[in-house]
Amino acid sequence: MKQLLAAMSVVLLLSGCSPKPPKTVYPRLNREAETSGLLSWNQRSSWNPRSGRVITSWVNPGGTMTTLYGDDAAVNYARSHADGAYPAGAKLGAVTWKQQEDARWFGGRIPAQVASVEIVTAGGSYARYEGSPLTAVPGDDTQRAQFLLHQRAAVMP
Amino acid sequence: MTRMRLLTGTGIALLLIGGAMQAYHPKLESPPVTAEIQVPDEVKQILRQRCYSCHSNETKLPWYDNLAPAYWIVRSDVREGREHVNFSTIGAKPAAVQRGTLFESVNLIQLGSMPLPRYLAVHRDAGVTPDELVTLRHYLETPPVQPAAPAPAAAAETQFQHWIASNGTPIQVQPEWNGVPFLPEYKNWKPVSSTERWDNHTMRQIFGNDIALEAIADGKIDNWPDGTVFAKVAWLQQPDGKGGITTGAFQQVELMIKDSKKYASTEGWGWGRWRGDDLKPYGKDAAFQNECISCHEPVAHSDHVYTMPIGGAQ
Repeated sequence: MKQLLAAMSVVLLLSGCSPKPPKTVYPRLNREAETSGLLSWNQRSSWNPRSGRVITSWVNPGGTMTTLYGDDAAVNYARSHADGAYPAGAKLGAVTWKQQEDARWFGGRIPAQVASVEIVTAGGSYARYEGSPLTAVPGDDTQRAQFLLHQRAAVMP
Repeated sequence: MTRMRLLTGTGIALLLIGGAMQAYHPKLESPPVTAEIQVPDEVKQILRQRCYSCHSNETKLPWYDNLAPAYWIVRSDVREGREHVNFSTIGAKPAAVQRGTLFESVNLIQLGSMPLPRYLAVHRDAGVTPDELVTLRHYLETPPVQPAAPAPAAAAETQFQHWIASNGTPIQVQPEWNGVPFLPEYKNWKPVSSTERWDNHTMRQIFGNDIALEAIADGKIDNWPDGTVFAKVAWLQQPDGKGGITTGAFQQVELMIKDSKKYASTEGWGWGRWRGDDLKPYGKDAAFQNECISCHEPVAHSDHVYTMPIGGAQ
């Protein structure tokens, strides 16, 4: 019985009158959300935050989303401490994306273009990059650096 | 003349076979409507017209669906359809579950998986029209009258303190009911993408192991190599009080492990979901994975992976 049903389904499918699935279900990389101009800031910070591991993420008012990454020193500390007193030299990086509706899931918002990249070195510098390709925005923002250093790690048992 | 006779003969034979087929006509039960879905009239109207044939206890078949062999296929589809979603009984479930089902329904419609393409091929007028889709989406975009209670911040705090105190000591975790193992190293994999899910008030991160990352770098994502593993981690949303949303309590981690031979019977992937900070395997038996597979079916052309990976994580 099952085989008969399957055979008949195949006949119907082969009849070629099934509607084609929408384009969005075919494989696609989210190219627009990649960080471009990597070298321009990579040379100075010599660290790509997306090569690190995830500490946490959040959604900002106004339709952007941020993921905070860290190098080994930062991630290991964040996952066992709540105080944000990272060892000197630990690197954290926040990538903030504009959001777009997920074409594959009504109910989801996913990263679109990169809005900014911020790099904080514990006990040291803060740097901010914007635009495409990313270019450094001059200035030091201690308050913002402290904000990033005090984000708690997302629980990952 | 002989040709005429052959045609007549074939015709009579077909009629006889067709007639004989009608003898096998197993009953399609119509159980009572116990708890219909609770939605506004304009939404129910669309569900009634487009979905109820297979997803309710009020199945109404056109005459041609009552003829075997079509009847056999339709009967089997209706029974399976009711098992997945039954709008005649779903009203007994919590409002959030009903809403979740509607979100999944809209997505299956948008991605061309519902109504089933082979059903649409015969029932040309059964498809949801663009206007109807707008009505369904609009209903779901409008927040429910009673918004979901915010996730208790205190619970998230306790969970966090407990977690950092454990300092990475792994806890004992059971494999899923289908035998798929839990991989505690997921948290050290590289980021592939992230999602804000406003439909179910969660935040998500998707990680990939080295094999996944290599495939992304090579742009070979139409058929993920064996050994690819994705982890999707979900947290409850926690408003920060300033218009933003932070990651609250850990909700679950899900794994997709690619092995085209070992997992051949489940689309080439081993599926698993572990819930709560004690990482309890999801489901009651191995049948839980049917939920995973049917939800991922619309993206079968992308090897069942929903996430559009963001390159550059190496």
